[in-house]
Amino acid sequence: MGTVHAKASDISKNAEDSGGLFEFEEPIELDEEPIQKPQFKLDGVRARVDRVHVDGLGRTKDDIIKSTVEDLFQATDFEDVIVRAHKVRRALDSMGCFRDIGVVIDVSTGPGSTPEGLEVTFHVKELSRIVGGVNTTVSENEGNLVLGVKMPNILGRGERVQAEYSLGHRSSSNYSLLASKPFPHKPLAPIVAASVYQQNHEYPWSGYRLLDRGVLLDLAFNTSPATKHNIQWEGLVRDTSVLSKTTSFKVRENSGPQMKSVVRHIVCVDHRDEPIFPTRGTRVRFSSEVAGIGGGVAHLKTELDLQGNLSVTDEVVLQACGAMGVLHDVFGSSLPDQLFLGGPTSVRGFQQRGIGPHCDGNAVGGKAYWAVGAHLWAPLPFANTQSGLSSLFRSHAFVNAGCLADPDESGWRVESLSNVRVSIGAGLALRLGRVARLELNYCVPLKATRDDVKSPGVQFGVGAHFL
Amino acid sequence: MPEFPIADSIITSLHAQEPWPENVKLFQPYEVEQILLPDNASCLAVQAFLKMCNLPFEVEMRWNAEFMSPSGRVPFIKCGAFVVSELEPVVQFAANKGVTLCSNLSTEEKAEMRAYMSLITNVLVNAELYISWLDDETFNAVTKVRNSSVYPWPLGWFQTRTKRNAVAKRLKALHWHSKTLEQVLADTNGTRRLGVRPCIHDNNDSSPLSQASGDCPQARISGRVSQASGRAVFQETIA
Repeated sequence: MGTVHAKASDISKNAEDSGGLFEFEEPIELDEEPIQKPQFKLDGVRARVDRVHVDGLGRTKDDIIKSTVEDLFQATDFEDVIVRAHKVRRALDSMGCFRDIGVVIDVSTGPGSTPEGLEVTFHVKELSRIVGGVNTTVSENEGNLVLGVKMPNILGRGERVQAEYSLGHRSSSNYSLLASKPFPHKPLAPIVAASVYQQNHEYPWSGYRLLDRGVLLDLAFNTSPATKHNIQWEGLVRDTSVLSKTTSFKVRENSGPQMKSVVRHIVCVDHRDEPIFPTRGTRVRFSSEVAGIGGGVAHLKTELDLQGNLSVTDEVVLQACGAMGVLHDVFGSSLPDQLFLGGPTSVRGFQQRGIGPHCDGNAVGGKAYWAVGAHLWAPLPFANTQSGLSSLFRSHAFVNAGCLADPDESGWRVESLSNVRVSIGAGLALRLGRVARLELNYCVPLKATRDDVKSPGVQFGVGAHFL
Repeated sequence: MPEFPIADSIITSLHAQEPWPENVKLFQPYEVEQILLPDNASCLAVQAFLKMCNLPFEVEMRWNAEFMSPSGRVPFIKCGAFVVSELEPVVQFAANKGVTLCSNLSTEEKAEMRAYMSLITNVLVNAELYISWLDDETFNAVTKVRNSSVYPWPLGWFQTRTKRNAVAKRLKALHWHSKTLEQVLADTNGTRRLGVRPCIHDNNDSSPLSQASGDCPQARISGRVSQASGRAVFQETIA
């Protein structure tokens, strides 16, 4: 028995010395890979957890911590302890209540300790009750300055209240208030969120301005580590108004307030290694919405996004992407519900919303579209891509193609979606954090119709989602 | 008094040389379910004016006519590429095309006409707004129901409330908000004499004219229609 004890403590010491295991330097999101095993057969060493300490708790409720760390007591060997400790650490991190989470595993001593017993200690620091910030976000080709206040962990169980005021560079202002509550120990780890918002958007390509005021209820859950579902209900009042006196009458006809009630399901399966410049893996996003349970707008809308990445050589990545969408109007759908295509974040070489039917220069959208793209990504030539500023940049060459049709005019025929538009080009992309990128491309539209608005030459785009 | 951006007038007059097109459409809210007293009066005014001028047009009813209108008020006409809203710009627009009803009036008569028109705007329009939106009985029985008829719940309630607040704000600024119904009715009595302008008989192609009784508005629901058309005809008479 004594031998076992000596061995256990020896191994735990060695395991700690072997480094990397307990210093979680790498970002939490990337922890999917199996932990590198030291030479010891840790799973052969029997161990049990006697005690778990969590240091640094203030307002966080004990029950939620208890249920999070409970898992550790199931461990039967030393490897199990390490893996479970790692999981618990991630669970604590994903609560969004703590920062600087450290883990220490030690041999248990004192009264009540067992010979194979271990003590696991988590050192956490609670986030302050109120956090304010000024940051910038990027969406649909518009940059925003965001002033935000966050109250993390407000009731001690990971609940969060967040208020935001943002000012866009197109002088639109938005407000939002969001409250969310996670249920990390329920099956599928759901997160319930509710938000109230006001959003202003201007669409100069279509000649209208939109003021949305609404309520969004969201239930997010994961059916696997890479599969994320969102079920949402959104009730909104949107006020459409024209931008100028010269706006097309077809756009003007859509003015006025409308109420819309939408039930939406979004599923996203993301197996990529990195969101902005991935080198391998695929991503599929499928969203479907039904509007018309209450409100004055009823339609069905489905959109699908696909992306696949393949490393050709060490540094060159081939990316293929596709998108499609269909809108089926039942009644009341107006211009803001339509589908649009074209622009620096979709089919490049065309003006934003530049593909498809136009009326007096205003894009009026369509009811079905498809788009595909092939990109060849490479690091900047003559630069060390591993580090420094140049790691934020990539160069790429691309072919984009797509088609948008409004079958009201031509009927549901295959021909209406076979009128393909093609553009090619090459350019530079810059990664903005881990959420957005900025592209500067030289584009040549090869095939377009008379209605389309082309944008040959240099095109600049900012966005979170690109084709 | 509504304001009209000067740029609009310039654009309108620049392109006004062409003759009156065939496919002119007049947009207004739904007459049966939706339209309110002040709006109905304005719509009838424009319709009567166009008829008196023998200008062909087609009435199209839209639930969102008010929001489609560049000035936010009904009615408006779509004439080729142009969208012209409310009576005065429409009169001006027609005048630029050489169609006018007051070419035979002397300067003095024209000035008088202007005075009557502003009297109507300042008294009758405000009285109509007061009765529609601030008189509780009419508001609850008519305005609320009609204004929210085109919206799903609760948008109708919200829109009605917003509009009522806007009207109340306008009437407050004009010192009408604090008046009682009796005071409002007494004010409208001042416009009674307007109905007997001689040129009312000049025109033969204006069926609404037959309704031109010259009544002052009676502030109850029963009086709505004759009241509205009455005002419409007044404006035409002097235009």
